[in-house]
Amino acid sequence: MSKKIDVLIIGAGPAGVAAGIGARREGAENVVVLERDWDLGGILQQCIHPGFGLRTFKEELTGPEYMHRFIKQAHDEGVEFRTNTMVFEIDKATNTVWTMNKERGIEALNPGAIVLTMGCRERPLGAIRIPGTRPSGIYTAGTAQRFVNMEGYMPGKRAVILGSGDIGLIMARRMIWEGAEVEGVYEVMSWPGGLRRNIAQCLDDYGIPFHLKTTVTRIHGQDRLEGVTVAQVDDHMTPIKGTERYVECDTLLLAIGLIPENELSRMAGIDIHPVTGGPVVNDLLQTTNPAVFAAGNVVIVYDLVDNVSDEGLIAGASAAKFAAGKLSGSARRIPVKGGENVRLYSPQYVTGETDATIFMRVTHPIEGACRVFAEPGLYSQRLRYARPGEMNEVKIKAEQIRNLPDLQEIVIDIQPV
Amino acid sequence: MSEERKFICVSCPLGCGLTVTLDDAGEVLKVEGNTCARGESYARSEVKDPRRVFASTVRVKGGKLPVCPIRSKTPAPKGKLSEIARAVAELEVNAPVKIGQVLIHNVCGSDVDIVASRDLAAV
Repeated sequence: MSKKIDVLIIGAGPAGVAAGIGARREGAENVVVLERDWDLGGILQQCIHPGFGLRTFKEELTGPEYMHRFIKQAHDEGVEFRTNTMVFEIDKATNTVWTMNKERGIEALNPGAIVLTMGCRERPLGAIRIPGTRPSGIYTAGTAQRFVNMEGYMPGKRAVILGSGDIGLIMARRMIWEGAEVEGVYEVMSWPGGLRRNIAQCLDDYGIPFHLKTTVTRIHGQDRLEGVTVAQVDDHMTPIKGTERYVECDTLLLAIGLIPENELSRMAGIDIHPVTGGPVVNDLLQTTNPAVFAAGNVVIVYDLVDNVSDEGLIAGASAAKFAAGKLSGSARRIPVKGGENVRLYSPQYVTGETDATIFMRVTHPIEGACRVFAEPGLYSQRLRYARPGEMNEVKIKAEQIRNLPDLQEIVIDIQPV
Repeated sequence: MSEERKFICVSCPLGCGLTVTLDDAGEVLKVEGNTCARGESYARSEVKDPRRVFASTVRVKGGKLPVCPIRSKTPAPKGKLSEIARAVAELEVNAPVKIGQVLIHNVCGSDVDIVASRDLAAV
């Protein structure tokens, strides 16, 4: 018999590696991180551009460099990693985690606590229903990123990018550096999906045209993509007749959003939030199954990996406390409600047992002075603007919650001042 | 006559809108719109000697992966990026590769080194 696992973490990306560190630092003896790939680090291994970790390390690292530092810390803390190991089932009655590995075979693990850190997936072509043919040459931006940065293949010579999520912007520049042409980036919304600095350093630096309120309305080509039709859209996102334009290209990259990956979470019987697409969690990052915790992009899609790592540390520490029987079952459960201009947020409950950071995105951009706040009178911060592509935060101290024993609800919002 | 130049700061995820005012000789008179010292120095560098960190991959012989990510250790002159891209594209290295290992010293006479940005084991 192998010794009992105290905290079992699923996925060795930034959230999972940090969760391992957090669990060990909280005193968990046997902390194991499972990873289905042969290597640790998750998606950051293919994000070879700089821009990661400015807050954590006070310098801008590439994705692999950022993970290198965290993986080293995890090894130093005594976290055990099992690569090439796939979790294929979680039994919600017993919290048994079933794993598969070439050497170890099929195993049933019964840990003291589980941390879900599976990350997210890209929204595929099927999600947006573009008329036309289905030739080769159409990829999600992250798939193309993996081809170029890890497999050493170029997806094509002349690309159109649909959607302006950060990965799409980063891939526009990457294609240029590899000698391809990028005809333009098309975004159906009237604001960019990604960070402004990526529009500056990935598009403007190379003169790549950026078209807002414009989308791809038809795909052309039989075996290989030959071109796309693009058209402007009206305020209801309906293509405007007469604005159609044919664009020749052999590659279409999609950067149209990310979806938390929660197939295993559903098996674990936990509630999934209808808007975030991730587990409903409290500020300890505990899901509705008390033995199961979750952190990172599996919960809500973050802008910055620094936030993902921070949340991983919290989830790991909470899981270690639970496994040691140190989390009181009688924690308060104060619901957080999003106001008029809040599209999504996490966590959805506050316990008052820890200082809480609530991450949120606005529904509509505010281009001017505004205020992010939590009522009743828990937090207020002035902002110069608020944009859907850039997350905002509300911070609430445990003491504030403890001082309000009758608190029934917290409302967060961002409004112009 | 002074000249105004506007651009987005790329020093951090905030992406502040910067306005730099230059005099006739091209000297910086003032920087506005930044919210930190990094923004001020980025603005000054951007009008005099714009630089970017270059990141790409090199081909690897005998490695766990066919390519290894690289970066310029420090920001490289923006005007030399395509020349640097070509120099990097021609390079092939042998596995194993260590993170931080210098692969091209003083690339294209820019005083900037190209280094590996991950460990890559041999097969």
